[in-house]
Amino acid sequence: MTEAHERIVEDLAAYVLGSLEAEERLRVEAHLATCLTCAGLVAEYRGVMGLLPAGLEPVAPPGTAWQTIQAAAQNRRPRRTISLTVLSQWLRIARWPAAAAVGALLIVWNVMLQRELTRRAPGPALGPEVEALSRRPGRIVILHGTGKPGASARIFVAVDGGGHLAVSGLDLLPRERTYQLWFVRSQAPPVTAATFAVDASGRAWAKVTTPGSLDDVHAIFVTDELSGSAAPSGRPLLEAQPWR
Amino acid sequence: MRVGEESALEALYARYGGLVYTLALRIVGDAELAREVLQDTFLSSWHGREAYDPGRGRLPWWLMGIARNRAIDLLRSRPHRARLREQDHLGRGIPESASPDTEEVLVARRAVTGALARLSTPQREVIELAYYAGLTQAEIARELAQPLGTVKSRTRQAMDQLRQALRSLMDQEKGRSQHGD
Repeated sequence: MTEAHERIVEDLAAYVLGSLEAEERLRVEAHLATCLTCAGLVAEYRGVMGLLPAGLEPVAPPGTAWQTIQAAAQNRRPRRTISLTVLSQWLRIARWPAAAAVGALLIVWNVMLQRELTRRAPGPALGPEVEALSRRPGRIVILHGTGKPGASARIFVAVDGGGHLAVSGLDLLPRERTYQLWFVRSQAPPVTAATFAVDASGRAWAKVTTPGSLDDVHAIFVTDELSGSAAPSGRPLLEAQPWR
Repeated sequence: MRVGEESALEALYARYGGLVYTLALRIVGDAELAREVLQDTFLSSWHGREAYDPGRGRLPWWLMGIARNRAIDLLRSRPHRARLREQDHLGRGIPESASPDTEEVLVARRAVTGALARLSTPQREVIELAYYAGLTQAEIARELAQPLGTVKSRTRQAMDQLRQALRSLMDQEKGRSQHGD
């Protein structure tokens, strides 16, 4: 084993605990994509992580919590009905290629996120939120300046919800106006996912309230509105390319 | 868990709801916020169930991962810190213990508490700061006033010891998952 390999091995436990800095995490993920020994060790550490909560003295959840979850789940019935069993059978066959692909995707996701972070406008520290977001795999949706040439945006959406929007190239707006990000589903009115202003250099970083899965969304765009509009009134300045 | 079957979600909640809530409460230290984490976790797992990859571990491990991420995000958020400061004056609302456990749960708890008890105090400390407080290795090093290398070594040694100590339990769990979760 090389010295570089040993250094990675030293970091694997902290990696599984989500306790590495971004740069270290990227290094580990790049290594895991090619090293089966370390991937196996990571799987075992994940087993340890999964068992740790079993050591806690159990506390009963509130009695009404299930009703709340059930009601919310019923409000968003799934569109597709494929079986996870089929997925798991397929993954058993293509386990290692799939693991390598997932590893590569995670690396791309993290690299893109880090690039966006270095490009973002100066402002208050985002540390914990971005750190948390970059720990999780997710999707990146790219918006182009169809109504504002030169402008662009990225939406980072973690698979378990939550997201951020990074924008550049928009004009500074008068105080009474604001930019709004819209998600549009079939046969449903557009909903605002974020409201934001840009700084003097035309950039912004905003938290996005993602409406569940992006699979149901057929349009994503940004308009310029009179503060807090309930529906888009202006023409789209930024629009998403197909993201599926 | 089959996609689209709410009964599967109900079964999942019946089996792991208590554990998710217990973990959330241990991390955020507040009953109302723990409830929020519990609800978010099951709804996220429901909406994002296609992202579950059995090759990366058992379903409960995936669920605990979602719960832990949610709880730590909340733990690090400014409003949460303000709320806890406020509650320090009022006393925290920690609920009562759960109903009696099954033999399976008791065996797992004994194994995990035993394994943690056999770690040295510094090893246990780094695991708790990383797992329950969501601190990075660098933050732990600052918190404990120890070199980063020392913290990393302790973390690795602790996880290796836990891995050895819990191996048979992990094998049993894997066996169970192969017979269906």
